[in-house]
Amino acid sequence: MRRVIERVLNLLAFLLTAGRPVTAEEIRRTVAGYDRSSDEAFRRMFERDKELLRRLGVPLRVEATDAWSVEYGYVVPVDEYRLPDPGLTDEERAALWLAAQVVRVGGGPVGSSAVLKLGGARLTGAVDPVAADLGADAEVLGDLFQAVTERRAVEFDYRGRRRRVHPHGLGHRRGHWYLVGTEGGEVRTFRIDRASDVVVGEEPDAFERDPRVSLKDALRSQPWESGAEPPVRARVRFDPEVAWWAARRLPGVSAGDDQPLEVTLEVTNPEAFIGWVLTFGPRARLLEPPELVDRLVERVRGVA
Amino acid sequence: MSGRSSERTAGRLNRILAMLPWVIANPGTTVAEVCQRFGYTREELIGDLELVFVCGLPGYGPGDLMVAYVDEDQVVVDMADYFAAAPRLTPAEALALLSAGLAMLGTGQGSEALESAVHKLNRVLIPEGEEPLTVDLDAEPELVGDLRRAAADGRVVTIDYVSLGRNRRTVRQVEPWLVFTSLGNWYLFGHDHLSGEERIFRIDRIRSLSITDRRFEPPSPIPEPEVRYVPSEEDVHAVIELGPRARWVLDYYPVDVLADDGEVLRVRFSSADPSVAAGLLLRLGADAVLVEGDEVAEALARLREQVLALYEPG
Repeated sequence: MRRVIERVLNLLAFLLTAGRPVTAEEIRRTVAGYDRSSDEAFRRMFERDKELLRRLGVPLRVEATDAWSVEYGYVVPVDEYRLPDPGLTDEERAALWLAAQVVRVGGGPVGSSAVLKLGGARLTGAVDPVAADLGADAEVLGDLFQAVTERRAVEFDYRGRRRRVHPHGLGHRRGHWYLVGTEGGEVRTFRIDRASDVVVGEEPDAFERDPRVSLKDALRSQPWESGAEPPVRARVRFDPEVAWWAARRLPGVSAGDDQPLEVTLEVTNPEAFIGWVLTFGPRARLLEPPELVDRLVERVRGVA
Repeated sequence: MSGRSSERTAGRLNRILAMLPWVIANPGTTVAEVCQRFGYTREELIGDLELVFVCGLPGYGPGDLMVAYVDEDQVVVDMADYFAAAPRLTPAEALALLSAGLAMLGTGQGSEALESAVHKLNRVLIPEGEEPLTVDLDAEPELVGDLRRAAADGRVVTIDYVSLGRNRRTVRQVEPWLVFTSLGNWYLFGHDHLSGEERIFRIDRIRSLSITDRRFEPPSPIPEPEVRYVPSEEDVHAVIELGPRARWVLDYYPVDVLADDGEVLRVRFSSADPSVAAGLLLRLGADAVLVEGDEVAEALARLREQVLALYEPG
């Protein structure tokens, strides 16, 4: 490990000071640690080192070394490499570090390495184990976040179609991550774990942010409020055994002891709503409207 | 190099590239300060400084190498101006940090410092002043606060609990070790007196709670809770085919994938009670097909009949 770290530090120092694209051949001849390696060994080492640099957040680019594009070399643009200083106080760093310890995104300790880059934190005392797990694939989420902040278009497969989306924001709600953006000029919300083959566009600043897009509106707190269908009012009755449990899910609603509960809810995503009602089995009955009742019955019969 | 060792290498290099700028910006800083800030032991720090000392620019002579050592108790770094700033955050790091901050603020456990830190980070990452990220951990169930307090005070709680698998109601005494949220649900983790084991309880399934005067000592460190279902020998098994719209089941249920052709996913579903699989199949409608599992088929037929009976005319 020591040799790898020395070599990569030398490579990065060279790239940061070269001020021009340098070819792989020049790197091999110039940077300590690559000399005396065979062609094959050099290629392998160099590939791995580039991968390591990218993983650390180093912007490593390939550019032509001359105006005629005869030869290509590697560049690390200094102003892109440098972390802009957000001007955090020690107290703020410690607060971020603590948050990164107890909230996990995608399983890795990514937040802790970020706090070190920001200047570390005076760490004191033990911390509770993870208090919240936000799930999700941290890499895909990171790529999408970059697309949002740099206004790059994204493409992915979703519900059987390839989509091209201008991403405006990401949100986590009830255990899932969502991408909010525009597709063909329409505001849309996508569940990220249902998107596949995500490709982020090469061009930054590829679109203007659409002022109609609001993350808060797009991500209403109940899944049945986040659909695209015209809103309908649905009335449901819960039996006393489950009324308390249903009420837990509904802000501002409370259930009396051993009393049935009847509520009216606004629904724009009937599929999600019917799914929720059915989790109560025969202890919840959808009363209105009839179209929704029909859809529920079809679902139970297994025809829709 | 294996994935794990490459992870260690990346971690060590990241720490070096973060530590150098800080020492450069704070000349005269002490070993103790750097160790505390970057999580180093004294030996680790000296090891990394020695490593930096032999690196630098081509030529690699005395005037080209970086200078890095410990003098008395001060950390000295020189000739390393190109490392005067840390590398920028990767998108995954920025996202992890911001969402962790937002999540803490959302649960009401944040602080003023956290709020301003999140604000400053947002401003650096998105100069236009947009706020491109929201984390809504759900309004906490009201019991969460009480359970957290009981855990902090080390007091045993009595809970009236309706179990998920069997819909059975029990009153049990639990030593609350930890309250956490995962995949949209809140959980209590602790020692359960009734079973004599460590257990995880879904907080929305606790009907009522009382905090007793009995004290307990939590283990140290508290083991990491595992939310996933632990199969047992008495489990009921079923084989289910999930259509494209039912793939989310993978995220929520302890299933084994038997086959996946990209379209239809064939899984084995295990649970203590057939009604769990039946309940899921009921919700999924035509998006799932039960291929194998007589007990589940019976439970599903029963459930279907009961639900349809609600909607029969007259």
